[in-house]
Amino acid sequence: MSRGGAAHFALAMPVLTTDALILRTYHLGEADRIVVFLTPGRGKKRGVANGARSPRSRRFAGGLEPLTAVRLAYYEREHRDLVRLRYVEPVRSPMSARDGGRLGYVEYFAEILDECAQEAEPNAPLFRLGSAVGALLAGEIPIARLARYFEYWVLRLQGVYPSLNVCGRCGRRPERGGRIDAAGGGFRCGACAGDRGLPLSAEAVRFLRDAAATPPDALAQVGLPPRADQELDRAHGRLLAMHLEKELRAARVLRAMARTSPGATSS
Amino acid sequence: MTRVEPLVRLTGELQKLPGIGAKSAQRLAFHLLKQPRGEADQLCEAIRDVKERVVYCSVCSNITDCDPCFYCTDAGRDRRLLCVVEDPHNVAAIEKTGDFKGAYHVLMGALSPLKGVGPDDLRIAGLLRRVGGGEVTEVILATNPNVEGEATAIYLAKLLKPLGVRVSRIAMGVPVGSDLEYADEITMLKAMEGRREM
Ligand SMILES: [Zn+2]
Ligand SMILES: [Zn+2]
Repeated sequence: MSRGGAAHFALAMPVLTTDALILRTYHLGEADRIVVFLTPGRGKKRGVANGARSPRSRRFAGGLEPLTAVRLAYYEREHRDLVRLRYVEPVRSPMSARDGGRLGYVEYFAEILDECAQEAEPNAPLFRLGSAVGALLAGEIPIARLARYFEYWVLRLQGVYPSLNVCGRCGRRPERGGRIDAAGGGFRCGACAGDRGLPLSAEAVRFLRDAAATPPDALAQVGLPPRADQELDRAHGRLLAMHLEKELRAARVLRAMARTSPGATSS
Repeated sequence: MTRVEPLVRLTGELQKLPGIGAKSAQRLAFHLLKQPRGEADQLCEAIRDVKERVVYCSVCSNITDCDPCFYCTDAGRDRRLLCVVEDPHNVAAIEKTGDFKGAYHVLMGALSPLKGVGPDDLRIAGLLRRVGGGEVTEVILATNPNVEGEATAIYLAKLLKPLGVRVSRIAMGVPVGSDLEYADEITMLKAMEGRREM
C-alpha cells in the first residue's frame, strides 16, 4: 500500500475509545507488544502497541500489566484481526495491592478471563466481574474468598455451574451438602451421589448461595470457612478444567508456589 | 528477491533473528557475500564459540566463559551483599552503574502463572543454598517492576527472611511494566540506593 493510501485508510477507520481490562501481552519484535484486552461492548480484542517495550513509551506507560483497568483508544484495520492501539491510559493497576502476596493471583484471574472471553463476542457481565475482582485485589478481602467467588461467577456466566438448590436426582433440598460431578452429573445430595464427584459440605453450599446473592463490593460480609475453601478450590478447579478442556497454567503455578512457600500467596 | 539458493538460505536464517525483517536480512546477506572470506569465517567462528564456550555459572547462574564466573571469583567483591535478578542482561544493567560491588544471583526468569513458569523452573534452590551458607547478610531483590517481578520478589522474601538475612527490594523509580534491561544508569543507581527492607 502506498503512503497516501495508508493515510487515507487511517482517516477512514474511526478511532474507538473504550474502557478495557488488560488480559496479557506478548513481545512482538524488539520494540512492540501484542496486547490482549477485554472490552465491555466488543468482547476480547488483540492489538499491536507500537514501541510499548521501550521505557520511553509514554503512550503505554504503566498500562499493560495484566488486570490493569484502562482507558484505551484503537482503530480496526480492514481484513486484519489485530487492531492498532493508539494509547493505553491506566485507571487502576493491580500493582497497587498493598499485600503483594495477592499478586500471584493477578495472572490467575487474567488467564481465566482470557480463556472464557471470546473474540468479537460482547460479554459485559464478564467484563464487570473482571473489573470488580481487579478492584478488590487492592482491598482487604481474603484472597481465597475472592478467588472462589470469582470462579463461581465465571462458571455461572459460562453456564456450567449446576443448580445447588435441589438434588439433581431426588429433587430434595440438600441440607447437609452433597457432591458435585464436573463430568456432567451435576449436583446431588449425599444419599444419591454415592462416591461420584467431589464433596461440597453444607458450609461450601452456603458460601455459594451467598455468593449468588452478593455483589462484589459486599463480599466482606460472606464467610468462607477453611474446609469449604478447600472443597470449592478442588471442585472449581475440576469444573474449569472440564469446561476449558485444559488445566490452567496459572492454577498449576499457584499450587506450586503455595506448596514451596506456604504464606507466599495467602492472606 | 534473489533465487540463488545459498543466499536464500542465509537470508532465511538471518530473518529468524530478533528485529530483522525480510529487507534487512537480504541486505545483510548481500553484505556478507561481498565481505572478504576471512571476515565471514570470523563471524562463523564467533557464533560457534558462543554456543560452545558460554555456559551458566554453577554458583550464580550468570552467563560466563569460565565457571565459576568473574563475579563469583573476584576477591574485590563483597560476598555479604547478594543482588538477585531475573536475567543475565539485568546484571549488565546494574554493572553499568559502577556502584554495586556485591555478588549476583540470576534466577533465569520470574514466576509467571500465565506462562506456566513456577518456582521449580527458576534457580531458587541454588539461591537458598547460597544464602543458607551463612556468608550473606543482605539480599537485594532486583526483579523487574511488574506484576511478575513483584510477585517473585514477595515469594522470595518469604523464603529468605527465615534464614536470618536482611531482605530488601529496589525502589520503583522505573515505570511499572518496564524491563530493567532498558533502565539507564541514573535510574538503576537510584533504584539500588533507594531500596527498602521488605
Ligand atoms: Zn438426592
Ligand atoms: Zn557466578
